[in-house]
Amino acid sequence: MFGYILRRILMMIPTLLIISVLVFILIELPPGDYFESYMAELEAQGENVDPKQIEELKREYGFDKHPVERYLIWVSGLAQGDLGYSFEYELPVNEVVGDRLFFTMLVAFVTIIVTWIIAFPIGIYSATHQYSWGDYGLTFLGLLGIATPNFLLALLLMYLANVYFDTSIGGLMAPEFVNAPMSWAKFVSILEHLWIPVIVIGTAGTAGMIRTLRANLLDELQKQYVTTAKAKGLAPFRALVKYPLRMSLNFFIADIGKLLPTIVSGAEIVAIVLSLETTGPLLIRALQSQDMYLAGSFLMFLAFLTVIGVLISDIALAILDPRIRLTGGETK
Amino acid sequence: MNLRINIFRFVAFLWLAACHLYPAAAQAPETFMEAPLLRSRVAAGQLPPIKERLPNTPKLIDLAADGNRIGRYGGRIRMLMGREKDIRMVAYYGYARLVGYNSRLELEADILERFDVQDGRQFTLHLRPGHKWSDGHPFTAEDFRFYWEDIANNKELSPGGVHRHLLVNDKPPVFEVLDNYTVRYTWDAPNPYFLSAIAGTRPLYIYAPGHFLKQFHSKYATDKANDKWASSFNKLARQELPSDMRMPTLEAWQLQTNPPSSLYEFARNPYFHRIDAKGQQLPYADYLTVAIGSNSLIPAKTGSGDSDLQGRYVRFDDYTFLKAAEKRDVIKVELWKHTVGSALAIYPNLNTKDEAWRAAFRDVNVRRALSLAINRREINKAIFFGLAKESANTVVPESPLFKPEYASAYSRFDLDEANRLLDQTILAKRGRDGIRLLPDGRRAELILETTGENTMQTDVLSLIRDSWSKIGILMYPRPTHRDLFRNRVYSGDTVISAWPGYDNGLATPDFSPLDFAPTSKQHYQWPQWGDYYWTKGRAGEAPDLPEARQLVALLKRWERSSSTDERRSIWHKMLTIHADQVFSIGTVNGSMQPVAHAPNLQNVPKNGTWSYEPSAYFGIYRPDTFWFAE
Repeated sequence: MFGYILRRILMMIPTLLIISVLVFILIELPPGDYFESYMAELEAQGENVDPKQIEELKREYGFDKHPVERYLIWVSGLAQGDLGYSFEYELPVNEVVGDRLFFTMLVAFVTIIVTWIIAFPIGIYSATHQYSWGDYGLTFLGLLGIATPNFLLALLLMYLANVYFDTSIGGLMAPEFVNAPMSWAKFVSILEHLWIPVIVIGTAGTAGMIRTLRANLLDELQKQYVTTAKAKGLAPFRALVKYPLRMSLNFFIADIGKLLPTIVSGAEIVAIVLSLETTGPLLIRALQSQDMYLAGSFLMFLAFLTVIGVLISDIALAILDPRIRLTGGETK
Repeated sequence: MNLRINIFRFVAFLWLAACHLYPAAAQAPETFMEAPLLRSRVAAGQLPPIKERLPNTPKLIDLAADGNRIGRYGGRIRMLMGREKDIRMVAYYGYARLVGYNSRLELEADILERFDVQDGRQFTLHLRPGHKWSDGHPFTAEDFRFYWEDIANNKELSPGGVHRHLLVNDKPPVFEVLDNYTVRYTWDAPNPYFLSAIAGTRPLYIYAPGHFLKQFHSKYATDKANDKWASSFNKLARQELPSDMRMPTLEAWQLQTNPPSSLYEFARNPYFHRIDAKGQQLPYADYLTVAIGSNSLIPAKTGSGDSDLQGRYVRFDDYTFLKAAEKRDVIKVELWKHTVGSALAIYPNLNTKDEAWRAAFRDVNVRRALSLAINRREINKAIFFGLAKESANTVVPESPLFKPEYASAYSRFDLDEANRLLDQTILAKRGRDGIRLLPDGRRAELILETTGENTMQTDVLSLIRDSWSKIGILMYPRPTHRDLFRNRVYSGDTVISAWPGYDNGLATPDFSPLDFAPTSKQHYQWPQWGDYYWTKGRAGEAPDLPEARQLVALLKRWERSSSTDERRSIWHKMLTIHADQVFSIGTVNGSMQPVAHAPNLQNVPKNGTWSYEPSAYFGIYRPDTFWFAE
């Protein structure tokens, strides 16, 4: 087991390196760079932009170096936790990101929990009451959740919350709390705003999860051991929970790998619509203004989450599911 | 030299009317009233009393002259912005300048007590004795010396040399400190850019708080002299976009939040130099907050009453929504006027790489025909509810330089005339399907590039596409990203492009006609010629159309001119050339800008002009005089 985990962790290093090369290339690809946008902005306002000044800026930020050299500087910085410098904000990326990362995690975490709390009972109900009115009704709701575009739902909920609950539009808290230290009132204000993004981001995921749980559980329930258990007079609840449910739970765990990045990145559009103080709007803005270190470090962060998520789910699966053999092909 | 910028004729009329209503100009008050917010700090001895904080002669704002009312202290003006750099709007809206425009667009002393100009080349600036920075340190000639010697002429801080507008014939001025409150700049020849540069929306700051900045300057603090000091100094010293709340200011409100943040707070500057006739120190509002969020949400938030003063990021499309919110009594909406020469103009690229099209566009009849084949009435009715004005791309009617013939030049809808003109050009031949042919045999198909940033542009272009097809020219609009768009126009890959018209549609004779001559690569009709002028011939190409060369010559004459009359005649010559030559093709101008404000926010004009320059958006209407009624 230990050897397996170690091997998986070592595998992460080349994976992340390859991703970092791809991210760097992608960010370098579009024509122009931040300095050109900056120069155009200054010129549009009648400023005298001396090409020498731009050269100076480029030199200062190492843009006169060869891309490979710049890549190496960036990556070695990343390895030491230095995310680089944001041109747009004129601050180190670490400072720009600040508590946005915390709020992103908060939204993601609450969303995952809520998704599970809703999806779990509904999935079980749908599977055990297959083709009943309840099954159809809940399936319909679930499909509606998948089919409704996130941004639309976000706008609708935001409007309704504003009109009926008098919640301020957008953001994760009422404006007066933004710079205030954490307090009970601020916490309540965050809760008041948090449910909208949680519902919006959660709906699509919940519906998907209900469908998978239902399908997996149905497969199990038709197996002979279940029939045998029932025939032997095992209580229906025990006959459901003891083995079939456990078997159908594999995907929950396998899903963690996908879950982390989709919730962090899938939340981006919603975060822009809702104007949340999370990392999403920052990333989009950075990509638009070609603020390359900010954007690049963000993308790397997402990639890192994915890799970590896959690792966690693999380890958890290996522990929880005795059918999975760690030695892989060796025994064949 | 006549210092007063010419007055708009219609505003002048209002002004005269106002003079009748309020015959006596405001008297300077004898006593001053302390703002309630500051009373406790004054009582505790943390702040000197108001009399000692104000300059010996404060700037008296005559509210009655503008038909406004004297207000009362207190309140918080909340605003919404789309990006953090937008906090510079506070310095634009606050509009404290050495000299600045008032709401009648006359140039007057603001931070300065007065200024004298001789022959347009010697500028003597008199400061207000007793004027202080927001931290209480005196504002004196030393702050001008610090800027001139230690910033403008410091090789590391200003690697590009002193600012363009401080150079005449490439030579800097002679700078003299006459006494503690008087400085003088002298050039060999007239500098027509100096006053408008220091009065600008994003002004040329020729002073800096030396007492604060010296501790970060390598000359005074040798321990700071590493190779990064210059960029951190420049960032800290920025006055229009403050990056540190310790940086003192002369503006009405001072930053209270260090970046980055999604909510910036500004609080009243206790040393601000403006007062009202009752002896109250401006600004009336104690606080001003700028919340940063998605700009697409700003109209919705404005409509729910989350903003007390909003013009930026709300557009005419949002007007009906905002009007509906007005019924719920959370905001009030006014309609102001845009002053760009044209809401959307079309720029045939005279420097395009495509030789056939380049030859075609250089024929004035092609440009005229393209202009005649636009149905401006239809555009106005369909997209602007008929509220805009059909016009060529030129100055707007509110400008004292306006003449009806500039607006009507080739701006009627006349397909027959357009076809007749085109038949005299190299596009005379048509294919079997009626589409004209270029001399090299290609069909006359134009890819028109835009930034596609809003639906108004695409809507207008699809109407133009329909009418152009009737003169045998096919046009396909193609949106590209803004930066790419600029670069493609400049390199000549773009044949024809669309972008809003002239920025300074409100021009007066004393405004520079830079935008009306090929002077910048941001001019999408002649980017190469513009770059040639801007870089003094180091890049780009020299203009080869006689009319374009004439425009440059006229601009140079304007720069050397010393009287307003001479400038006016030069402006008219340039505008006539533009009307005749149709270098850019206008559609409509005078479109509307909704301005939303809190229902109880007073002194917000019902009719204003919405422009970056010269009105600094709200700046010339002095938001420091806006106040909250009960």
